[in-house]
Amino acid sequence: MNWIRNIKSNMNSWAILSIVFIILILLPNLSIIFQFFSEPNENWAHIREYMLNTYIKNSLILVVAVGVLSAIVGSSLAWIISAYQFPLRNFFQWGLILPLAIPPYIGAYTYHGIINYTGVIQTTLRNQFGVTVDQQYFDIMNMPGTIFIFVIFLFPYVFTITKAFLARQSTSLIENARLLGSNPWKIYFKIVLPLARTSIVAGVSLVILEVLNDYGVVKYYGIQTFTTAIFQTWFGLGDLASAIKLSGTLMLIILGLLIAERVLRGRKRFSFTTTKVKLLKPVQLKGVSKWVAFSYATTVFAVAFIIPFIQLIYWATLTYEQFFSEDLLSVIGNTIMVALIAATLITIMAIVISNFSRLHRGLTAKLFPKVTILGYSIPGAVIAVGIVTLFIGIDKFMYQNTLVSSYVLSTSIFMLVFAYVVRYLAVAYNSIESGFERIGTSFTEASRILGQNITKSFFKVDLKLIRGAIFGGFILAFIDILKELPLTLILRPFNFETLATNAFQYASNEMIHEAAVPSILIIIISAIAIYFFHHVLERE
Amino acid sequence: MKIKYFLLTSIILSVIFLAACGDDSTSDGDSNESSEEEINLYTSRHYDIDDELYKEFTDETGIKVNVIKGDEDELIERMKREGEQTADLFYTSDAGRLFRAKDAGLLQSIDNDTINENIPENLRDKDNKWFGLTKRARVIVYHKDRVDPSEVKTYEDLTESKWEDKVLIRSSENIYNQSLLASFIELKGREEAKAWAEGVVNNMARDPQGGDRDQAKGVVAGEGDLAVMNTYYLGGMLNSADEEEVKVAEQLGVIFPNQETTGTHVNVSGIAVTKHAKNKENAVKLIEFLSSKDVQKQFASANYEYPVNPNVEPAETLKQWGDFKEQDINLSILGENNAEAVKIFNEVNWK
Repeated sequence: MNWIRNIKSNMNSWAILSIVFIILILLPNLSIIFQFFSEPNENWAHIREYMLNTYIKNSLILVVAVGVLSAIVGSSLAWIISAYQFPLRNFFQWGLILPLAIPPYIGAYTYHGIINYTGVIQTTLRNQFGVTVDQQYFDIMNMPGTIFIFVIFLFPYVFTITKAFLARQSTSLIENARLLGSNPWKIYFKIVLPLARTSIVAGVSLVILEVLNDYGVVKYYGIQTFTTAIFQTWFGLGDLASAIKLSGTLMLIILGLLIAERVLRGRKRFSFTTTKVKLLKPVQLKGVSKWVAFSYATTVFAVAFIIPFIQLIYWATLTYEQFFSEDLLSVIGNTIMVALIAATLITIMAIVISNFSRLHRGLTAKLFPKVTILGYSIPGAVIAVGIVTLFIGIDKFMYQNTLVSSYVLSTSIFMLVFAYVVRYLAVAYNSIESGFERIGTSFTEASRILGQNITKSFFKVDLKLIRGAIFGGFILAFIDILKELPLTLILRPFNFETLATNAFQYASNEMIHEAAVPSILIIIISAIAIYFFHHVLERE
Repeated sequence: MKIKYFLLTSIILSVIFLAACGDDSTSDGDSNESSEEEINLYTSRHYDIDDELYKEFTDETGIKVNVIKGDEDELIERMKREGEQTADLFYTSDAGRLFRAKDAGLLQSIDNDTINENIPENLRDKDNKWFGLTKRARVIVYHKDRVDPSEVKTYEDLTESKWEDKVLIRSSENIYNQSLLASFIELKGREEAKAWAEGVVNNMARDPQGGDRDQAKGVVAGEGDLAVMNTYYLGGMLNSADEEEVKVAEQLGVIFPNQETTGTHVNVSGIAVTKHAKNKENAVKLIEFLSSKDVQKQFASANYEYPVNPNVEPAETLKQWGDFKEQDINLSILGENNAEAVKIFNEVNWK
């Protein structure tokens, strides 16, 4: 009768909610997973022979290079900014998250626009100095260029999550190391990297998933990746079944990697055990090192944000007139509203599932986190197929049983919001999970010994300790949704425009100047959100 | 505590909002069946002129046009899954995709005199299941200083050894290239079409990258001498807000290939009434409207596409390039041969 007691002790509102959420997330993914086991059709041999080999190689190069570089850039900046005081440090605390506000494909168009023949660099050289340069030195549309674009626009994932960890969690070890006379490099390699590994891995896995999913940048730059194979199979060969089979393969590979990482990490956990969270106090840098730190942060910020932003502003000045209308206001309203709603739902679900998962032993509780990543691991357009199938199925059922007079769910915003949740749960989850991980369970256990139930313990104890991680997760999800594309395009209700669909409309038609205005608005809204997030954290 | 309230308020707000949305769409749905004042349109065209024309249509007829813009194949997939409850019209910028929708049994034929009069037979589906509304030609552009246009007369010339490392053309992922090769499969057979693709790959000045406009810039920048692009992109560049783009376009000349042989490759943007359209009459009215003389004129001048209505002249920018002979094939072929074209591209390693 042990198992009954087990179930009884494990069944509470958190568990029930978690299970419901997980089932919701699983449903649209099921058709994709099933398709993986279907018989290959006559196109499969062609796909394997001509697409997979080279395309997988390109994907691997991209993933490894972008992963390693964004880990280096993100964690080193997080370390410098957490541990040292130098000019503009306070601004960089949030300023270095800003590149996340630029959708990578817009960034890709923008950088190409700066560098190419009609771009500002070559035009100035030609018109002012009469110099025409060799194009091969002014080409960003290749593998290194693609890696560059992904690193500069995605490293903030690593930066944000790692910085949140370092600021609160590493104080005693780092201060001890300082007292014992270790130099900054030694501290970085011997303490920061091993200690913050969980956070860095959490950030890097978000980066990698974004890279694997991307079809905008690689398509424009002519780099063929695994995603290319998926879409060539679907759009080119007209074979959705094989495309879904490829997506299922991608999903399984990613799940395998994530589980392997978890197993390798083993039981090592770094959570603090004293009741007082001690904030890491930044040391004032002096002399050369002050300016080295300053120029490093400034260079990254300029390349990843200022330069493309200025270029977009310039383009906007060419075309802004056509955008001033009431329509634009409603587009902005739509964009902010769906992003707020979806990000809130995502945050709540991520809190519930991660709290359940950390407080319960057993396989189910450990598998749940992996499910959250499913929607993030394959291209949005493929997820969309699963979601349309699910919602139209439900609608059909209700319609045939005359519960409703027409299709309700699939024609409303509900389907789109649900899709965002499936897709971006992982983003908030990763941030919140790493927040929980660093406080460990001792506080919750103490609270429960003192007679509080899980819910009370959560609101009175845990919530306060991981506030930063929760806000961080919310903001990341919010920004991601602001710039989301394939799902919004295909799952929106009639006459529903967002800034991202607006920008895409022009960019896809090679009208990058016209795409500048909606892109800038996405960036400004994200920037306000990031600043607000930072401000809230600072005040506490 | 603050977070708790924040979360609570947000939950309440979201519930209210979702409820409101649900209501909205239900009432929309109801009016769908009772009144005739709406049509639902799925489109993959992303041009401002389209929105303006829908507005004009609404002003003229009182019929509201509800729009979802998305990628064509995804829209087809959505229609398949929606079954009987779907949009009234499907509008896309590639005949191949129209064929795909027809092939999946998503469209119905429309026999309407006004439309038949406005749109010539070769630009309609043979079963009248879709109708071309605008035309675009895939042409060769050359640098006026470096190339003597009499040396390049056909698509086949692009494979000649004298153009080694001189030809710029975008990736085979692009639908316009797929349609181009699909037309060659029809005209010359698979073997010759493959030989052509192989020849172009051998002459490429660089690995395919960027869009059509980037090929034009590549020619002017000296990376190659010839580029393949759609006419309306060049039209767009000639009328760009960025004077550097105008300068580039002005240095380029246009060649309509295969004038003495099979004709220049054209593709259409076309519209179709879906099989389960709930507002068929209104849908037909929109097609009548879009193919009418006045509207065709606006299409042509705003987006530099060729009008399909024979009574309308193309925009000034296009007229200066002159008339040309088109490929004489049924455009449905582009869809039928699309998968084969993609396979050939992969076989010859056209990236």
